[in-house]
Amino acid sequence: MGYAGGKGLNKAQDSKRKAARSAAAEITLSDHKVLVANRGEIAMRIMQACRKLGVAFTAIYTAEDAASGHVRLAREEGGEKSLFRVSSYHDANELMAVADEAGCTAVHPGYGFFAEDFRFARRVAKRDRKLIFIGPSWKIIRELGDKINTKRLARSLGVPTVPGSDRPIYDEMEAERIAKSVFEFQEQQGIQRPLVLVKASAGGGGMGIEEVYDPDQFRSVYRRIRNYAMRQFKDEGVLIEQRITDFNHLEVQIVSDRSGTNPVHFGTRNCSIQSTGLQKRIEVAPGFAPDELEYTFNAGRVLTDIVDYSLAMARKVGYDNVGTWEWIVTRKGEPFLMEVNTRIQVENGVSARISHVHGKPGVDLIAEQVRIGLGQPLGYSQADIATEGVGMEYRIIAEDPDNNFTPWVGRIERFQWKDQPWLTMLTHVPRDEAYEIPTEFDPNLALAIIWGKDLDEVKARGLDFLNNLRLEGRNGAGEPLKSNVEFLKANTGRILLF
Amino acid sequence: MIDISALLDEIKASPYREIVIATPHTGLVSFAGLKTGDKVLGPQGQWKEKPGTQIATLERERNPKPICAPEKGEISVLHSELEGRFVEAGTPLAVLRHMLTREEVQRAILQKALHLFRAPERAKYYFTPEVDKKIRASDAHSVAVRDGMELLIMSRMKREVPLHYTGPDGVIYAVYFKYNENMDTGAPLIGVCPQNQLPAIQDVIMRVQTEWREKE
Amino acid sequence: MDNTIEKRIQSLRDRLTYMQDIFAGKHKDSADLLEERLSAFAERARSGSLNDPHAELSTVEDLFAYVERRLESGVTPMDRVRIVRHPQRICLRDILENVYDNFTEVGGQDEHSLDPSMIIARAVITRRRGKKSYTQSVMVIGQEKGHGAEFRNGGSVKPWGNAKALQYMRVAETEGIPIHAYIFTPGSFPLEDYPGAAQQIARNIYGMAGLRVPIVAVISEGGSGGAEAIGLADKRLMLSHGYYSVISPEGAAAIEGRIKAGQRATPELIEHCAENLHITAQDNLRFGYIDHIVQEPPLGARPWHFDFFRHLRQEVIRATDEVVISTRRLPVFRGLALSRHRNPEANLDELHIRWGLSAAAKSRLRERRQQKFLRLSRQAARDRRPFLTKTAAAFWDWLSKPWVSFKYDFYRKHQRQIRGFMEEMDNEWEMFKTRLFAPWRKLTRTLPSRTENKVRELTALSAWSDDSRRRKWNYLSPRYKIDRTLTCPNSASYGCLDLWGPDLFAEFAGVCSHCGYHFPMEPEWYVKNVFDPGSVFEFNSEIEAGNPLDFPGFAERIAEAQKKTGAKSGCMTFEARIDNIKMVVAMLMGTFRGGSVGAAEGYKFVEAAQRAAKKRYPFLAYVHGTAGIRIQEGTHGVIQMPRCTVAVRRYIESGGLYMVLYDTNSFAGPVASFLGCSPYQFAVRSSNIGFAGPGVIKETTGMDIPPKYHRSYRALSRGHIQGIWDRRQIRANLKQALLTIGGRNLYYR
Repeated sequence: MGYAGGKGLNKAQDSKRKAARSAAAEITLSDHKVLVANRGEIAMRIMQACRKLGVAFTAIYTAEDAASGHVRLAREEGGEKSLFRVSSYHDANELMAVADEAGCTAVHPGYGFFAEDFRFARRVAKRDRKLIFIGPSWKIIRELGDKINTKRLARSLGVPTVPGSDRPIYDEMEAERIAKSVFEFQEQQGIQRPLVLVKASAGGGGMGIEEVYDPDQFRSVYRRIRNYAMRQFKDEGVLIEQRITDFNHLEVQIVSDRSGTNPVHFGTRNCSIQSTGLQKRIEVAPGFAPDELEYTFNAGRVLTDIVDYSLAMARKVGYDNVGTWEWIVTRKGEPFLMEVNTRIQVENGVSARISHVHGKPGVDLIAEQVRIGLGQPLGYSQADIATEGVGMEYRIIAEDPDNNFTPWVGRIERFQWKDQPWLTMLTHVPRDEAYEIPTEFDPNLALAIIWGKDLDEVKARGLDFLNNLRLEGRNGAGEPLKSNVEFLKANTGRILLF
Repeated sequence: MIDISALLDEIKASPYREIVIATPHTGLVSFAGLKTGDKVLGPQGQWKEKPGTQIATLERERNPKPICAPEKGEISVLHSELEGRFVEAGTPLAVLRHMLTREEVQRAILQKALHLFRAPERAKYYFTPEVDKKIRASDAHSVAVRDGMELLIMSRMKREVPLHYTGPDGVIYAVYFKYNENMDTGAPLIGVCPQNQLPAIQDVIMRVQTEWREKE
Repeated sequence: MDNTIEKRIQSLRDRLTYMQDIFAGKHKDSADLLEERLSAFAERARSGSLNDPHAELSTVEDLFAYVERRLESGVTPMDRVRIVRHPQRICLRDILENVYDNFTEVGGQDEHSLDPSMIIARAVITRRRGKKSYTQSVMVIGQEKGHGAEFRNGGSVKPWGNAKALQYMRVAETEGIPIHAYIFTPGSFPLEDYPGAAQQIARNIYGMAGLRVPIVAVISEGGSGGAEAIGLADKRLMLSHGYYSVISPEGAAAIEGRIKAGQRATPELIEHCAENLHITAQDNLRFGYIDHIVQEPPLGARPWHFDFFRHLRQEVIRATDEVVISTRRLPVFRGLALSRHRNPEANLDELHIRWGLSAAAKSRLRERRQQKFLRLSRQAARDRRPFLTKTAAAFWDWLSKPWVSFKYDFYRKHQRQIRGFMEEMDNEWEMFKTRLFAPWRKLTRTLPSRTENKVRELTALSAWSDDSRRRKWNYLSPRYKIDRTLTCPNSASYGCLDLWGPDLFAEFAGVCSHCGYHFPMEPEWYVKNVFDPGSVFEFNSEIEAGNPLDFPGFAERIAEAQKKTGAKSGCMTFEARIDNIKMVVAMLMGTFRGGSVGAAEGYKFVEAAQRAAKKRYPFLAYVHGTAGIRIQEGTHGVIQMPRCTVAVRRYIESGGLYMVLYDTNSFAGPVASFLGCSPYQFAVRSSNIGFAGPGVIKETTGMDIPPKYHRSYRALSRGHIQGIWDRRQIRANLKQALLTIGGRNLYYR
């Protein structure tokens, strides 16, 4: 699969565009029913979005999740056949069976589970009883889900990517030559301790990756990774890249309707505050604050660049739903494209919070996703979108930041906060009864989205919120709950600082 | 040493167990024509290679799957009102009244005699790949355990942590967890028989073999 | 009463029981008559009311002989089966005692033997010419039924028994003495324990195909694979009341009648099968699969038929002599000697032929034996190639042979020297160039564009056009079009979720994405996905499977299979390439009557092996599936075992690389011969490999076998195969195997 396929896609878009134009007028949202193929907080947000749009929905849950807020919400707000117990969220067959039984016309995968699984999207679209996959078309998921492919697509459009190979290397001599170039390249850039990353091209999720700091060491590392890749993935291909250590993690929120021709962006986010396992803990929109903070580079310029690059790629592939382009920005202000997340993200709310469309606040990106996913045209252009103030999202998680962010398991007995006009709380944890954290999933408890007119105000409000938060519980051994609230407090001060 | 006779008497006082047969996943139910009071068989054959009596068929995505009796017993409840209906995962279809077999009694008594290695936390447990391979190749008895050996993988919150065995050296005599099943804190995971206690364990088995009679 | 009389009465009683047994209720009136006469005589003898009991007894005996002669003409094929299985039937020990002048058992004694059903003995025959006597040694090998002794296992040999036989064949080869093989087996014991029933038979057949001493086989009960294990002989004699068949009539009836485990086929169906399988000596002589029939007394030889043993002795000596004579170089002497021997009046005990052979004669012996088997059964396949095509092929063959032998035998040999010279030249030129351009290179190194090039290489799009980019299958199983899910058979133990058919049969190549279980795929999948697209060139597709025995109703079933698969036989032979490595492939297709092998399949296989040898290509036997020998073709099918093995052996010995790849169920005859003899056998994960399936094992041995007994991993652990491949990796693994096992020219030597 190359983007030689891009041409084919464009052709497909043409016919799709025509079809979309004629069908757009007739699409009535109330004819649809969406299967909410997820759990917890995101399931609740999808159900609420559906309700807002007047679209019916069906939710699913597993035995372990019976006490989750999303189950209660489905019971209270859903209509007929709106809640089914299934054996697993991971079993696509369950979802299809329930969708058919409940008469669903579309599936919303949320994030995680099947959100970026092109096979699932393909099955949904190709089975005898077809459903709409609320997300990009499966071909786009497949194309952008392949890191090598994405990198090559970016390079073909002149979008900056991490220096190194953009195809799997099979030949040892060639690998050594590239590694040598990457070392030399970094030396020219004045990097003190150059690092080279060797990774199995067929790998993923941190498997089969190793750093090399000494060029002489490269050959043995290369062979080790190659052999590992052969054993594990039956493919000897290896990627060789520069390892960038000092960077900020930024992302661009893209939204595009099924025509795939007029993508818009909802600004940038900065997700640099992460756990040691590189999981996001605080996200801020916009991505930098050049007016309030000093940067060693032209931060405003970087933000415009990455937005433009992202839009160019979205246009090229005919991107047709919501998606996020992830970037790393070095201390010198160089952006490199990391990957494209072809789904709605946890932190989408923080961008929505600061956005206005046609001058009106209260943007709901999930509702937008459902609406355009079902085939409605976007209805506005980039010029109609504006932003105001700063948004910040805390992920409140039962974990122990002092102990490698180990998840904490137990019972939540008390979970209270002070409602504020500048605060949006998203949680599936019930406030009025105790809640046992299921052991199958991440112990995410809530997302708190805070708005302020500027950076100082958002920080102050954030700390105010955290100080007033009551979160208590005990585990089986009677020990008190551990959470990341203190970690969040300690890190609020450094948001958007490079 | 444990008092086998007392334990046996205790089990003999209530030799039955209720087994609820529930749907493993969603789907359309059709029953196999049994009725309350019918006797059913569990898996048969020298290697339990023949499945038990079919209770119902569960069809999902055009894939009909037989639901078979896991043990010998008598059908005490049959939810025949579900015939032809789409059901959720975990919906009870029938209840079996099952008289404990010699093996089950043996298991129950052995659980008192063996050294039990318990679940430190509520989680799913798996054997490490090497041990798993060994068990699949022959059986659990072939695995010798030592104190401190990496034996299991504890999986929860999407994280997998290796778990080291603690206790006397010996062979694994019983495995109490199943694939993909959550085990509560303190639930026994494996039963280990130290080498020097093998005769005592054999004795337990002998006693159960002679004293427990399975009724038809 | 006289003791002798008593004994003779007992002997007559035995004859009567025997008669009743072998006819299984038929000819009851004759039996009743004899019984009545015998009891009347016995009664009177006991009461002492007889004047001349000996004379009267002779009358009764004459009557017995008369009735036996009369009934002889009505012996049906199924009666023959009962004859050879009867405890009173002569067995190998009787032959050792009565045919040979002396012998020493070397393969164990009675029950103290690695396998009591296989007897091995060094025996001697003493011949006299004038006053001089000559003692000649032979290695006698054969199955022992032991008159029904339980520990002999009815002559059903376990794998290690066959291994023992092969070991002593090698001993005979070393010692340069002929081998006399006596076949008294209903079939081999279907155990997979090392060395494995099928694999060991394959080794035996392969071994016998090249043995450098005369082999004479005598068939009494020739049960399929078990018979072939010691049956590849220069001369094959057959006892007139024996049978030689692909399968027992009961087994055939079970298959024909689609009998489930535990049920029994009706006697009529069994009789019908016995009739139509053409298992008698006459049938097999007509087909050419045996060379000569040794006439037995009426209703079959029993241990007291001493004339028969004398006759048998003459026949085995004659056969051995003929084999030896036929290796003589000069046709005149050969003809004279043969005609002398073939004279039925000749007393071979008074002729002497040395049984030792010169090295050249040994080679001729081998060649004759191999050619003999290659020639067999051609008539049983339907060759639909037009006459002109056939002639053209033969002509082309004749033309190209010298060219090929020039190309490979002469040119290749000298090519190495030529290449060595060219390489030297090239090195010198490079050195010269380096010196010449050194100043220029110094200059370019300092230019700034070089670093820019480097940066561009690391940040700009590179060219990429190798094999790994294209990760699509060229062929998808048609099952991918059906929107349904399938349950992985391992789901109970591995927790695999149901698989969606369109994913499973297209992208996943029929492999469970969780546990790697392989669902069976169509033969086309392999042809189109393993080999370079467009490189497959089929040949001999006009050779069609037929119905050589006119087995009732079978022609229609063959036609049906041909219609269903679009193939004319269960074996497709083609030339193909993997990354431009050329090879010849013979594929047994499990979709065509279970991939069973008959005369057409064997014919095509032999042709493919010969083509590979001629073209110096590697030869791959890809076994999509094979259920065994096609039983409805009877011995036309069985004979493919030695035939194809001979072809394979000739190919390998000419320097070829022969590899076997098993895919689904691969069982019985083919595995026990031309597949199992390959030193390089690999299996796809989905395969089951063995001699007999679970049902047959239960039927023949009464043993229950554990599930997964035949899985490829078990076969690997038992040492039957060399490795297991993932279906998605076949292409890569094949290429690697060819490059590592094959030599310079991908030809073994």
